Amino acid sequence: MVSIPVKLFTATESKDVSFRQLHGEDNSRVRQLRWCAAEDKEIPYEEIVRGYEYAKDRYVVLEPEDFEKLPLASKHTIELEAFVSADEIDPVYYEKAYYLEPDETGMKPFALLLRALEEKGLTTIAQVAIRSKEQLCAMRPQDGRIMLETLFYPDEIRLRNLEPVDTVDVSDEEMQIAFTLIEMLEQPFAPENFKDEYCDALMTIIDAKLEGQEVVQAEEPETAKVIDLMAALKASVEATKVGNGKSSEAGTKPTRKASGRRRKAAAG
Amino acid sequence: MLDQLDGGAKTLRLLVGDNEIALTNLDKVMWPKIRGQRALTKRDLLVYFAGVAPVLLPQLRDRPLTLTRYPNGIEGDYFYQKHNEQAPPFVETIGVYANNRDQQFMLCNNLGTLLWLGQVADLALHTSLARVDPEPDGHLHSTQFTGSKEQIEASLLNYPDFVLFDLDPYIYSGKEGAGEEPELNRKAYHTTVQVAQWLKELLDAASLSSFVKTSRAMGLHIYVPVLRNFDYAVIRSIAETLGGFLVRAYPREVTMEWSVEKRAGKVFFDANQNARIKNLASAYSPRAKPGAPVSMPLRWDELDDVYPTDFTILTAPDRIESAGDLWAGILDAKHDIRALIDSA
Repeated sequence: MVSIPVKLFTATESKDVSFRQLHGEDNSRVRQLRWCAAEDKEIPYEEIVRGYEYAKDRYVVLEPEDFEKLPLASKHTIELEAFVSADEIDPVYYEKAYYLEPDETGMKPFALLLRALEEKGLTTIAQVAIRSKEQLCAMRPQDGRIMLETLFYPDEIRLRNLEPVDTVDVSDEEMQIAFTLIEMLEQPFAPENFKDEYCDALMTIIDAKLEGQEVVQAEEPETAKVIDLMAALKASVEATKVGNGKSSEAGTKPTRKASGRRRKAAAG
Repeated sequence: MLDQLDGGAKTLRLLVGDNEIALTNLDKVMWPKIRGQRALTKRDLLVYFAGVAPVLLPQLRDRPLTLTRYPNGIEGDYFYQKHNEQAPPFVETIGVYANNRDQQFMLCNNLGTLLWLGQVADLALHTSLARVDPEPDGHLHSTQFTGSKEQIEASLLNYPDFVLFDLDPYIYSGKEGAGEEPELNRKAYHTTVQVAQWLKELLDAASLSSFVKTSRAMGLHIYVPVLRNFDYAVIRSIAETLGGFLVRAYPREVTMEWSVEKRAGKVFFDANQNARIKNLASAYSPRAKPGAPVSMPLRWDELDDVYPTDFTILTAPDRIESAGDLWAGILDAKHDIRALIDSA
């Protein structure tokens, strides 16, 4: 077994359009509360523990110390376990792709591994710790670097028993038609020829609405805007007075410089 | 007194009224030299405080302070301080329940205290938006500030004099390293001015008076004085509502995003400074930033003609002399938000 210190960089990102949930009446943000079902009240984050549901409504609670006891390989080291041929790995096992780069101290073994994989045309199977979870992964050479793909463990692959289709009768003629069709469309794989048209169309609608909204706001009669504003102010005052008495203390909100925090006050 | 300060002695015992203040290390550099301006010392800070005291003291009066002390200047370590056992007897204090206990907060209600703040290198004068004095509009709320969270929440210190809008541009010059704050740049300032003017339109439409000043770097603070009818939670919600209006109308310029990355290229509309004992640098306060900028009150019609770096502890006195005290009447310009929304 060989271990190599490395750095990982996510190779893919989803370009899905994401939405926020709003209250349709006033377009204000819908806030998610951590609600205690027993006491029927909101509870702070500090009071949350992790429970494993071993039977319906029966939990065993795990403390942070319990997680610390778990054996976990060093985050930045990859333990090589086996070398295999890539076509032995069913694509269903592939989870997420990363670019792999050597850590400073790992230059030499990294280069050696890359060259060896290239020469042998093999993929190596390894264990790596990503976000405190031990992951199975496959690494293969690609254009002078190493790609790492995390793999599902076999028990994470769902089994589904389907009616076998090879018992259905297909005539030779039908097969010929299918072959002709395939030959017509046979070509090198060129992913750049495809794009997410649903996503593009959605962004077009959003852009149009944004444009439109600015124009509408500008042309809106001043009085309408004021009435609108006063109504919104009134609503926000009423809403805050109801749930008052817990949110005046400074520091109950994340500080403004806190990067990466997504919680945001309702922009009513 | 200014002559005494300017005299060149390294230490000084200054008589202010009946009080004697020991001033030490007067030549210690607080703000190192930058291009176009010499290094500024504790003496410069004290000369500034003494010179602008007539306009500065009214802004600080009766507002609990949070000291931001930089004993070795802006490039050294700094710490916050709310109570100080070594404070001289003329520094007024008030017991306030904060961080789960009663603490003696300081008030800057006289010239002696202001100079002592300079002596202990409190380079930015942070005060509460709420005052301990019920005059003239706070008689409905208790002046019992100690004992418990309930007491403080029912008290005057939970009812601010202002709705505060903190506009902070995250518009980068392109020269910053990863994760650094934006550097000074004209585009950032002018976009902030534009957003401030849009906000003013909204406030004008709602018949609310608004006062504007420069903030820390390229940002602007807008203060809207209001009768003390509403506590911080309601005031913050009002600020958020106005922010929401601006974000919807000008989504390309204004943001209320929590994630710093998502604020890039826009002006961050921060409503969350409307919170108890969240402290903001007062009008005319110096800032612990290179060049010793001052949080300077501005006229709404001059925003485009000035630039935040125009005002430093060296230039601010002349500016104040020629422009007058633009924030003198801020507490007399209060409006009643409750009446406004009830009549809507």
